[in-house]
Amino acid sequence: MIRLRSLVIAGAAVVAVTGCVAPAPSPGAFEGKAVQTAKAALSSVDTALLASATAVRGRLPQPYLETTLSSAEDSLSSIQTAFDSVQPPATATSDRLRDTLDRLLSRGSDGLAQLRIASRREDHAVVAEATRSLQQVADGLDRFEQEHSG
Amino acid sequence: MKQLLSVALGVLTAIGGFVDIGDLVTSGLVGSRFGLSLAWATLVGVVGICLFAEMSGRVAAVSGRATFDLVRERLGPRAGLANLAASFLITVLTFAAEVGGIALALELASSVNYLLWVPAAGLAVWLVIWRVRFSVLENVFGLLGLALVVFAVALWKLSPSWSDLAHQVLAPHNPSGEGLPTYFYYAIALFGAAMTPYEVFFFSSGGVEEHWTKRDIRTSRLNVFVGFPLGGLLSLSIAATAALVLLPRNIEVDALAQVGLPVAVAAGKLALAAAILGFVAATFGAALETGLSSGYAVAQYFGWQWGKLVRPREAARFHLVVLASTIAAVATILTTIDPIKVTEYSVVFSAVALPLTYLPILVISNDRDYMGDKVNGRVSNLLGSVFLVLVVVAAVAAIPLMLATKAGQ
Repeated sequence: MIRLRSLVIAGAAVVAVTGCVAPAPSPGAFEGKAVQTAKAALSSVDTALLASATAVRGRLPQPYLETTLSSAEDSLSSIQTAFDSVQPPATATSDRLRDTLDRLLSRGSDGLAQLRIASRREDHAVVAEATRSLQQVADGLDRFEQEHSG
Repeated sequence: MKQLLSVALGVLTAIGGFVDIGDLVTSGLVGSRFGLSLAWATLVGVVGICLFAEMSGRVAAVSGRATFDLVRERLGPRAGLANLAASFLITVLTFAAEVGGIALALELASSVNYLLWVPAAGLAVWLVIWRVRFSVLENVFGLLGLALVVFAVALWKLSPSWSDLAHQVLAPHNPSGEGLPTYFYYAIALFGAAMTPYEVFFFSSGGVEEHWTKRDIRTSRLNVFVGFPLGGLLSLSIAATAALVLLPRNIEVDALAQVGLPVAVAAGKLALAAAILGFVAATFGAALETGLSSGYAVAQYFGWQWGKLVRPREAARFHLVVLASTIAAVATILTTIDPIKVTEYSVVFSAVALPLTYLPILVISNDRDYMGDKVNGRVSNLLGSVFLVLVVVAAVAAIPLMLATKAGQ
């Protein structure tokens, strides 16, 4: 009886330990994760662009703008961390896919930080520049999503 | 005239008090992903909450006793305790979400990180529960919550194609790119957000606190049948503004700031200030209701003295439970868990617990020993039975759908 219980406990421990190690997904599943990541990142970038454009029109108070931009930045940062933690399959296509998306995510993070800093300083020239850069990232993410969806 | 004013006040309070953090986030999120194609779930939820809130109000008015008081007596201590444990945990989880909501709303107004607001929000909620009279507490935050009408104004200012919106409501469809499990997961979330159990605990306990009698049944019905549907319209306005402004821009709501953005786009700073006021009032009011409901549930089950109409010293254990719940809610949010995620889980777990709340209400409101000639009529029973099937289906499907869709991703 004790032996059976030990076996059950050992089995459960093996299942728990092996369950903690995420295997590399298949190329298709990895592409699916990349598309979901691009979609979520696009939401963060577009939120920042909308908030910034609304503020430029004098329709968004400074505290609300700052909170929205910080939240978008945090959100994009956690999206990138989650994507980077996924082990890509060992194929050249998957590596290219990862590099392309990771570059877009990094540019997005940089753009959001630049926009937040410039908005706090009310530096309109830098805000305009950061907005242009973020718009390019948004277009890139949108294209990525279209190209790799179903 | 005085009675008319009292009725109007009750209705207005019911409208403003209907929306809480669950409605704000879920309506904004669903509007930004599904347009108004899930409006049916809100509408069904509003009919359900009207039906069961009316029953629980009638039970309180006729028997002079609140829900959990009767649940233990009618279902027995064991079934009652299981019911209490589940309902209490979900009410405290919702309480945590509301405290997080207050902090997030204050962050929008101040740009001070929400975590710094959380202890202050918890303290303010506890002080109001401790010190402020029930009628003031109930009416002030409900009326301030009416500021959320600004979402309806924003909707009108966005000049939408009303026929297109009506088509989305009347001919629901699943937008491309969203799987059916995700669609139904959010349908259940909206249903759970509209029918949150604490609303009936608070409604029935409030009736007892205010010494409702059979003569108050008509007023209670007016509050429910006029106030709640109009509150439901506020939820739909939030979803509609998100559908018009956020959906075309690929923005999926995952922060409270995004819910208010369409108001700023449509109507500018003043309107946004009203929206923030509405966020604070709605979440603060709901935090008071959930905080009190946690105390009501435990005290009513164990037969302790409870309520705001007796001095705290006379209802010490009730106030101790409220204080402990407040500390638990504040501590939960201070773990830095995302308050929006807490909100999303609270509405889904609310859906899981719905049968535990609504089955006893249906049973008791049919019991002539308690209700005399005020038992449910045929229509109430027919609708109540249909809704009981719906809440059981939602409760059974909620967790599998949450796992299958990775919580709606």
